[in-house]
Amino acid sequence: MAKNSQTAPLLTVLIIDDDMERAEAFRAALKDTPYSVKHLAHTSVSLLKEVEKTEPDIILIDIESPNRDTIESLSTISAFNPKPVVMFSEHEEPDLMRDSIKAGVSAYVSGDTTPERAKFILDVAVARFNEFQGLKAELSDAKQKLESRKWVDQAKALLIEKQGMTEQQAYAAIRKMAMDNGQKMEDVAKNLISMMQLMGGGQS
Amino acid sequence: MLPKNIKLEQTELNVGIVALTDCAPLVMAKHLGYFDQWGLDVNLHIQHSWATVRDRLHAGLLDAAQMLAPMPLASTLGLNGSKCEVITAFNLSMNGNGITISTALLNKIAALNNGVIPELPLNSNWLAKFIAEEKKQGKKLKFAAVYPFSCHYYQLRDWLFEADIDADNDVDIIIIPPTNMTDALENNDIDGFCVGTPWNAKAVRAGTGATVITSCDIWDEAPEKVLAVTSKWQQQNPNTFLALLAATRQACEWLKSSANRFETAIVLQDYLNESIEVIAPSLIGSCLTSQKTPARDIPAYNRFISNDANMPKKLQGMTILKKMQQAGQLDSSYTNEDLNKVLNKVYRQDIYTQMTQLGDIA
Repeated sequence: MAKNSQTAPLLTVLIIDDDMERAEAFRAALKDTPYSVKHLAHTSVSLLKEVEKTEPDIILIDIESPNRDTIESLSTISAFNPKPVVMFSEHEEPDLMRDSIKAGVSAYVSGDTTPERAKFILDVAVARFNEFQGLKAELSDAKQKLESRKWVDQAKALLIEKQGMTEQQAYAAIRKMAMDNGQKMEDVAKNLISMMQLMGGGQS
Repeated sequence: MLPKNIKLEQTELNVGIVALTDCAPLVMAKHLGYFDQWGLDVNLHIQHSWATVRDRLHAGLLDAAQMLAPMPLASTLGLNGSKCEVITAFNLSMNGNGITISTALLNKIAALNNGVIPELPLNSNWLAKFIAEEKKQGKKLKFAAVYPFSCHYYQLRDWLFEADIDADNDVDIIIIPPTNMTDALENNDIDGFCVGTPWNAKAVRAGTGATVITSCDIWDEAPEKVLAVTSKWQQQNPNTFLALLAATRQACEWLKSSANRFETAIVLQDYLNESIEVIAPSLIGSCLTSQKTPARDIPAYNRFISNDANMPKKLQGMTILKKMQQAGQLDSSYTNEDLNKVLNKVYRQDIYTQMTQLGDIA
């Protein structure tokens, strides 16, 4: 409803497609929705400049466009933030869709998609993208935790060996130091390790 | 008759190619009827981006594809798109890349040298001097490559690195399709690029750029494109793969002769949508440099065969993996042992050797 579109924040959709008719149909279908459309055709040269200027929230691109590599590079080598990418595809290619979705493409619009579904597809794309980013963040978070646990374990082992503490005492000691100094346990552990290594080195 | 009566598991094949000079072995194998002779009905499908080549190969919509040499490794490692075991048993081409800088940048470099264009291949120290000047004004040069997992990207970085230019901080590198490079240079969107043939020649003919160095000067005899299939497909179609390789190798053999090279340029016009003036030079070993400077004679500019050039070598793969690590694409915690495991999976010299032992068609 038009009323809704006034309250919801506008999301900018950048359409990169040389098929004018298809892009126009999509734009029309998104009228009175929270999505505002900007269409680019035959302007591959300054595409990155355009992306920089438009700061789109979603990118919709023809699967046959040579610019796919440019758009994909946004998340690999450039400084741009990754964006949900939706692909226009003339034909239904279920296997391809499954694979590209694994690769981070957020949704597909195939030739026989009715305009009524346009908004729905974009909604799904945004949701799926957020989930994907969330998973990625969780993964790097988990890696980080694993890394920090490695340091703490090493520091614990040293405390047990050099100071004759039990495992529980060693853990409690590291935690107390972290709390007292307002540091992360990982950093305390690193300090302890380098200190004890230094002391160990001096004795021998 | 096929040698040793090898039984093909599949005869109709969909093979992905990208419109570049080095799709020649696959295009000519089709035109010369070599695929037919090996019992294969091959449809060549031109793909417009490397991402699409990758996704269609992973998904099984393409049986085989011309790929950038680093791509099978990136797919197998899960660095590029969905993780998928992709293998190669054949180098389709060696060399073929070049770095072109804008005519304006060349003139500015000449200005640092009393108005004389320095000797080519251009030493990147000249660029470093210029970059240092620009830095004072807060400006940065912008270069382009065609794909992050490409020899172009790594060669550009290596050339810059030779003059201690930090590719990640001292310059910007963006990705744009090869067909757009000349326009991007003309519009001052970029100051230079590293691409494969014929796109360097195109910029020189248009007067917008100067090809100052080739990949032969940066990395000697580097594998550029490979013929790739998924590991799963190869397991299901071992004999078909051998036949595909054998027919392609025949085309590489045919591509040795200069006379045939010119015929190839004519055939490629339709695939590349470019004129013979742009396509032919590199095929006959000529690197156009600029409208003011003479062409360079580089016999190996587009190499499709020589001794065992087509055999994928693990050392080549290891070099690429190290370049990936230097570029920050592959975690540096991978040890040589880890990398060798990957290479054993991806670089299938055993299949290449099997192919060479097939014998000729009766």
